[in-house]
Amino acid sequence: MRLDWLEPDQSAHGSLHRLDARIKLVATLALVLAVVLLPIGSWRPLGGAAMLLAFLVGISGVSPGTLLRRGLAVMPVVVLLAVMIAPSHPMAPTFGPWVVGGTILAKNCLTILSILLLAHVTPFRDLMTALEQLRAPTVLVATLLLMYRYLFVLAEQLSRMARARRARSFRRSRWSEWPLGASLIAGLLLRSFERGERVHAAMLARGWDGTFRSLDGPDSISPPVQPDSASP
Amino acid sequence: MHIPDNLLSQPVVLTTGALALGGFAVGLRKLRTRLRDRTMVLMGVMSAFVFAAQMVNFPLFVVPASGHLIGAVLAAVLLGPWAGALVLGTVLLVQSLLFADGGILALGANFLNLGLIAGVGGYAIYDPIRKALGGQSGVLIGAMVAAWFSVLLASLAFTIELGASGYWSDLPRVLGWMTMIHAIIGLGEAIITGLVLRTVLSVRPDLIFDDDTILTRSGRWTRVAIGGLAASLAVAAFLAPLASPNDDGLEFVGGRLGFLNEEAGSIFTGPMPDYSIEGLPDIAPVTAAVGLIGTVSVFITGLVLARAFTRNTPSLEGPNSSSPSEAGPEPHAA
Repeated sequence: MRLDWLEPDQSAHGSLHRLDARIKLVATLALVLAVVLLPIGSWRPLGGAAMLLAFLVGISGVSPGTLLRRGLAVMPVVVLLAVMIAPSHPMAPTFGPWVVGGTILAKNCLTILSILLLAHVTPFRDLMTALEQLRAPTVLVATLLLMYRYLFVLAEQLSRMARARRARSFRRSRWSEWPLGASLIAGLLLRSFERGERVHAAMLARGWDGTFRSLDGPDSISPPVQPDSASP
Repeated sequence: MHIPDNLLSQPVVLTTGALALGGFAVGLRKLRTRLRDRTMVLMGVMSAFVFAAQMVNFPLFVVPASGHLIGAVLAAVLLGPWAGALVLGTVLLVQSLLFADGGILALGANFLNLGLIAGVGGYAIYDPIRKALGGQSGVLIGAMVAAWFSVLLASLAFTIELGASGYWSDLPRVLGWMTMIHAIIGLGEAIITGLVLRTVLSVRPDLIFDDDTILTRSGRWTRVAIGGLAASLAVAAFLAPLASPNDDGLEFVGGRLGFLNEEAGSIFTGPMPDYSIEGLPDIAPVTAAVGLIGTVSVFITGLVLARAFTRNTPSLEGPNSSSPSEAGPEPHAA
């Protein structure tokens, strides 16, 4: 996976960007749920959902090519599973395997594209605030925020380590990939752990009280735990 | 492999979702007693690490493809079972929210398979082995065996979820095939986990999660029960094809009831159209043999990797980085 894939491009500024993240999250879930519940062979509602999605993509200003490229990245698994499953689907005798497989593929295209659209019009931080406001457990949200913060740092570190390894190994065999890859992971693991410890120390040094604050708005994520410094 | 939306039937989505939510709630409650902000920071960074580690590709030898580490057992060994499961859960959530990799409604099933069954179940297998063998070699062998089982158990759960969704009236045969394939895939997971942990043990053995306060005495019995259940499930999966070497009966019934229509059946009824590969007349002995070979080779690889540790460091005594009693950041000489 390339690094620029980690962050959905949010440069576009359509009308969907300004919508409350909670509405976008709930609406996307509703759309996905509706598509999933559609029975096999119901092409007309599927077409309606596709038109709705196309309309939303249109007003969002996100380039459809980007969405399709990202969607295609996860499609191989879906296609594989659809091919495996379509002939023995309970509805296969009535509709035939092609209709079943086609419906599964079409429904998956719709759900994948709607989730990708959500990711492209909502900054991750807003999504997390929305989750928090929708009463998701604070520990989960805080872990997600920290994860997203360090994802890019660690991925860049990994790519630097991989580049250094490539530069130093002239001849590679398939066997040597395994210990090399494992040592890459182990090195990253140790650095991640130590980085986590340093980050925590730095947060405490700056007076962290377990609250995540943001400069963007008044809402902050409440302290999920008592910090160590305050505990007896 | 993450399950996308639209594949599981609604009862299965609801059941797996409820189980995942329950497991998630139990995990949060278990963590609450020991959760300090330090653990939380580490969990966030470790989630990012698991995500990044899954980007490292390992070439496969038989097919021109590559696989990657899942990391469920690795996270559980380093952070404990519940924090490890939560880490896997956050990775799955981000993957499904940002990349649409894995369905959003199938998140429950994915978390059940990879976070709870592979992570917590894997820890339940790892812990008794570690206690029994002791020392760093115990950690290494336990983790490798658990990693192998975690892949196997997750694939079994995946197959059962799809089977319960109404596909595959010949579930035992599909289970046999999935077990066979994933016994081989699990070897890769076990080897990578072992290689990574060997480095960690030689540099910072204090990072290994070692805390009994998280489990009460009743919890210990549950753990043994889960471990036994996991092992017997895996054995049952190997033995399932042996128990019914020819499932003509099932297929006959299926044909009569119209589950399998002829046309569809001729395209694809499972991983293999008939229950034999060319030259291999029967799948059952093959499955059992692969299972045996898998178990034995995981043990042997673990022993080989562990030999380095039997000499120098006998035990894991040392500064325990995840002990709840310590306050504030620990200074470490790095």
